[in-house]
Amino acid sequence: MPLPPRDFNAIGPKEGQRFPDVRLSDQTGALVDLHEQRAGRRALVVFYRSAEW
Amino acid sequence: MALFAISYDSVEILHNFAAAHGITYHLLSDEGSHAMRGLGLINDRVQEDHAVYGIKANARHVDLPYPGVYVLDRDGVVTQKRFYESYRERDTGTGLIAQALGIVTEPSRPRVVTTNGPMVTARAWLDSPTYVFFQRVLLTVEVSIAPGFHVYGQPVGDGLTPLSIGIDALEGLEVGPARWPSPRRFPQPGFSDELWAHEGVVRGMVPLTFAATPGGGDLVIGVTVRYQVCDDASCLAPSSLELRVPVREAALVGRSLPSPTAKA
Repeated sequence: MPLPPRDFNAIGPKEGQRFPDVRLSDQTGALVDLHEQRAGRRALVVFYRSAEW
Repeated sequence: MALFAISYDSVEILHNFAAAHGITYHLLSDEGSHAMRGLGLINDRVQEDHAVYGIKANARHVDLPYPGVYVLDRDGVVTQKRFYESYRERDTGTGLIAQALGIVTEPSRPRVVTTNGPMVTARAWLDSPTYVFFQRVLLTVEVSIAPGFHVYGQPVGDGLTPLSIGIDALEGLEVGPARWPSPRRFPQPGFSDELWAHEGVVRGMVPLTFAATPGGGDLVIGVTVRYQVCDDASCLAPSSLELRVPVREAALVGRSLPSPTAKA
């Protein structure tokens, strides 16, 4: 039996909102502040499963 | 445009992945999925879904985000979000982003555009009939020069026009440097400078990156080939050829979400 579809509007930050601050390590181990690193540029933030599998 | 890709992989896994695939954009490590959970992007129904689809439980199948992408403007405000119910088949390397976004690849062949000018025929094509934002597509321009004639390459003498490719400006289109094969040294009576020229068929390649916001739609790349054709005795006036190369935006599969305001 298929599951009911999600309401993706209700999931995660919404359109029109400032994307929340995110600070995570990148592949070099350096701590990256997303908005600081954007430095006024537009950005794509991609969420994906895993680079491993 | 900045690009960030976030997963629950460790720095070590991301480091190895980036090294193996030549990735230079930021792969961010959200080990433990705390940031993704804070953002409300964790799919807590993975196990439930897997039960439905008959996939065996796996320790790595927890704390996974919904696959998707946010587009942020210069102020960091979300202008688009695209999320998908489930991951498609796995992928690695440069296809990762496309897979994460659920891009459909099309099997059809690129279209070749041809035009003729004095002593020269030019053909142009892209190595992909479609583009996806942030994808680099290679434009090839093939210039066929009539026997007995040549066109100048670089370096070129004063007053002569070398073979070159110009690309019309398009929003978000980043044009890389054109690469040509090396021209050969050419004797040219009456000129003291050394002249370098191409004969026969020569192919130039220009990398194009489509960095505009998704939804740009189908595009036509305006290509101008400038050249000056000469034989051993004389040169014709400089010429240019125009080629219009179509490219389609690859469709995103899944939900394209209406904005909350539009819904109200």
